[in-house]
Amino acid sequence: MPISYFQGALLGLLQGVSELFPVSSLGHSVILPRLLGWHIHQNDPFFITFLIATHLATAIVLLLFFRHDWWRILKGIGRSLRDRGIAPDDTDAKLGWLLVVGTIPAGILGLLLQDKLRSVFASAQSAAIFLFLNGLLLYGAERLRRRAPQVDEDDDARIARQVTWRSAFLVGAAQALALIPGFSRSGATMAGGLYVGLSNKDAARFAFLLATPIIGAAAVLKLPDLAGKAGNGVRGPAAVGALCAAVTAYLAVRFLMRFFETRTLTPFAVYCCAAGAAAALWFAFS
Amino acid sequence: MDRRKLLAWLAIVAGIVLIAIAAVYWAEPAKSLPSFFPGHQAGSAHHHVKHGIAAFLVGLAAFVFAWFNTGQKKTPASAG
Repeated sequence: MPISYFQGALLGLLQGVSELFPVSSLGHSVILPRLLGWHIHQNDPFFITFLIATHLATAIVLLLFFRHDWWRILKGIGRSLRDRGIAPDDTDAKLGWLLVVGTIPAGILGLLLQDKLRSVFASAQSAAIFLFLNGLLLYGAERLRRRAPQVDEDDDARIARQVTWRSAFLVGAAQALALIPGFSRSGATMAGGLYVGLSNKDAARFAFLLATPIIGAAAVLKLPDLAGKAGNGVRGPAAVGALCAAVTAYLAVRFLMRFFETRTLTPFAVYCCAAGAAAALWFAFS
Repeated sequence: MDRRKLLAWLAIVAGIVLIAIAAVYWAEPAKSLPSFFPGHQAGSAHHHVKHGIAAFLVGLAAFVFAWFNTGQKKTPASAG
């Protein structure tokens, strides 16, 4: 068996947390096996298949966590299509189309660059260095953030007012950074959100809503791999990993939505810089 | 022709082109794709289904954009 149940559970627990915390799940999935001396490499077909299951679990958790919001957003999109326009006070429709506009560049860049970037930046050393850079990105976002007046009571109204079509596109495109192991998808989108004037809480909310379709679609598109030959010997540990990822993803999103009501990205920036630097030094001298 | 109408026509053309590209991705293996298409690879029998899905969805988005731009222009006064 290429991956044991214990390894599957541990990587699943890690994946659920690190996918939503702005600390790069892929980076951790590359660094941890190397630190523990496991023969698991991010480009191994069985490991990619394993990650499909954990990503799918994370996407389902996000979808369920924000299910009421998604229902309102979908109804808003439906209303705007029926009326052939977005009414000025229709927050749900505006948010829905902002998510569509943000998802398009992320999807296209993901399809075009995923395999190339994964093969170029495949090593644990490069993941450690990019994790360090991810920390600098988060810290820079906190330093350069635009503090816009928050006039609306409702979270989604604030997001819909603050985020323009152009910034939704750019924030969505920033998700492509996460194709490089070490950079975080949620970190890039939260940083983009702060830059366009969102609060930490709103930036986190927008990042999680934006992440759901792209993580889910990427996993669903590769689901046949899990059912096919590449899934042989991995399906059991992948199921355990997915279950573990679902539990920690739920706890992570719950924690983060409260955390960002009052706190900033700085602790995650410090963690990424410290962990990235320590891992890079360890790999260089071990 | 006003700007909205022009954008709508451009979006319709882009939508048709993108959906045609999606069909090419679904129908042809990587070796038979035009060389300027992302994913073209000499000798490969692989079908780039995901590239096709991406092109199809962006084409769909272009049609939605055209749909909005050919509708009644929304102003705060008309919305209220």
